[in-house]
Amino acid sequence: MRCARCGVELTNKIIKINDVPYCENCARIMGYGKFLRSPEEMLGSAFSPFDEIASTIMQMNELDFGNSALSCPKCGMTLRDFEKRGRLGCIECYNTFNDYIVKEMFKQQGESTYGGRLPGQSAEMKNIKTDALPEAKKEETSEAKAEPETKESSEVKEPANAAESESVSSAEMLEKLAKADLGMLSDEELKNGIKLAAENEDYVLASKLRDELKGRNGGN
Amino acid sequence: MKMWYETEGRDEDVVMSTKACLVRNVKGYNFPSKMDDKDCKSLLAAVDGAIDKNVFSGGAATDIVTSGDAATLMLAQISGRDGSLLHAPDKKAIYYSEDYSLSVAVGNTEHLTIKAQAPGHDIGVYKKAENVAVDLEKKLDIAYSEKYGFLTSSVKMTGTGLRILYTVAIPAIAKTEGGIAALRQRVGQYEWNIYPFAEQGELNESSVYIIASVSTLGVSEEELLERGEMLISDIIKAERACREQFATKKKTQMKDLYGRAYGLMRFATLMSRREVMESICWLRLYRDYDDSHEFECTWKMLNTITQEVCWEQQRRNEINTQTSQKRRADRIKKILKGDD
Repeated sequence: MRCARCGVELTNKIIKINDVPYCENCARIMGYGKFLRSPEEMLGSAFSPFDEIASTIMQMNELDFGNSALSCPKCGMTLRDFEKRGRLGCIECYNTFNDYIVKEMFKQQGESTYGGRLPGQSAEMKNIKTDALPEAKKEETSEAKAEPETKESSEVKEPANAAESESVSSAEMLEKLAKADLGMLSDEELKNGIKLAAENEDYVLASKLRDELKGRNGGN
Repeated sequence: MKMWYETEGRDEDVVMSTKACLVRNVKGYNFPSKMDDKDCKSLLAAVDGAIDKNVFSGGAATDIVTSGDAATLMLAQISGRDGSLLHAPDKKAIYYSEDYSLSVAVGNTEHLTIKAQAPGHDIGVYKKAENVAVDLEKKLDIAYSEKYGFLTSSVKMTGTGLRILYTVAIPAIAKTEGGIAALRQRVGQYEWNIYPFAEQGELNESSVYIIASVSTLGVSEEELLERGEMLISDIIKAERACREQFATKKKTQMKDLYGRAYGLMRFATLMSRREVMESICWLRLYRDYDDSHEFECTWKMLNTITQEVCWEQQRRNEINTQTSQKRRADRIKKILKGDD
């Protein structure tokens, strides 16, 4: 972890102001020295003026942490520039601003770990067809329009059709059912799903499907 | 050769187009905002050497800007609505396939922006974009880290560097009370994003929305595509159900609005973009329920008009609004007459 103001590596003492880490020196320069006193010093002045504390807290909220002098040694990008534009200058910036980048990643995506493919290799597509797409069937569409209550989205339809097909294994079928939005399944599909799940001893899925069905019938 | 959007697509009554966008950067160069002229030239030359010339035409963005082609719909789509790719064209390059469905932009916000587009609902665009990306990844030294994946100048794209975007025309959901709010919630559940094609101006009530993926970290490409497919199926289903409601519950009113909208588009001499988009909304809402069969208006026609009006660029010599309105009306008539 590094100090957000001067960029020095934080080893012994880490001071966090509004969750942003600083070194002791920077915290003192920024006017927080009085809060860094030892317990002995604190006990010596038991009657700290409350208004002073309140005004300091107000100042803490207004602090501009982008004023940091931290900059990338390769492209010269500063932390302030990054915060302002949301863009980095070069690959080295990933090392220089690592903590901030991870923070930004979490803020935007709730994740910072990579789960995609390697360079030069195709992504694995086990469950999804991306090359030969089925032709749009207008008959299906108009049929669906005529009976909106029985119309199902394609990803929900798949498991239902798959159940009839011998080529698709029940394991695949169960997997698809587990992933499907239960609200989109018809009562018939739910009943079939419960049967199939019970036959395959997937009682968790079976109970999930049963609860969905029960819920539709008013809990009876 | 037909342009990609002039061909038919799956679920085109709701999904106008599907787009996959992949961004990559090349090691050894700063990201575009911090690149000097020398590095720019070197990068452009390196990419030019790696691009498959059997698939792509184009090259320096300067040539495209000076030739006047930059105003065409296709190049507007490649260069983005803000036209950012056409700013400082001497530092950028654009490569595109014959029907413009595939493109590689060099030196824009990232070193390489690979886009694949298709009409209607077609997730096959991902593979098309991936094939181009994999080819370039083999030929160029791409910035990649095991921890963060593909490194990009925008932290929002770090990871897979992938965005999937569906452009949808959803007038029925938009005209249903609370429809968009409910849809927004649904889209959020899938960790995707929805935003109108235009938040302000003449197109702000066009009922054309973009459904875009958000995550580039913590998910694989396959997971992202799966979520997208589930989401778009939900949206198609919801829009069709809402149209059904309108068509059955307000049949006479809808039929009237449909006829009026068609008449306006077919015979008007001057048309503003707002008028076109409003009329198209009514045509979309009732097109599949029109049992009179008096009006020749296919989904392809409607989508072509919508695409052209949405991506319309003001021509340099057209400072007069009337001129542009007349040109627009003439073009729409031509499309609806089937002369296109």
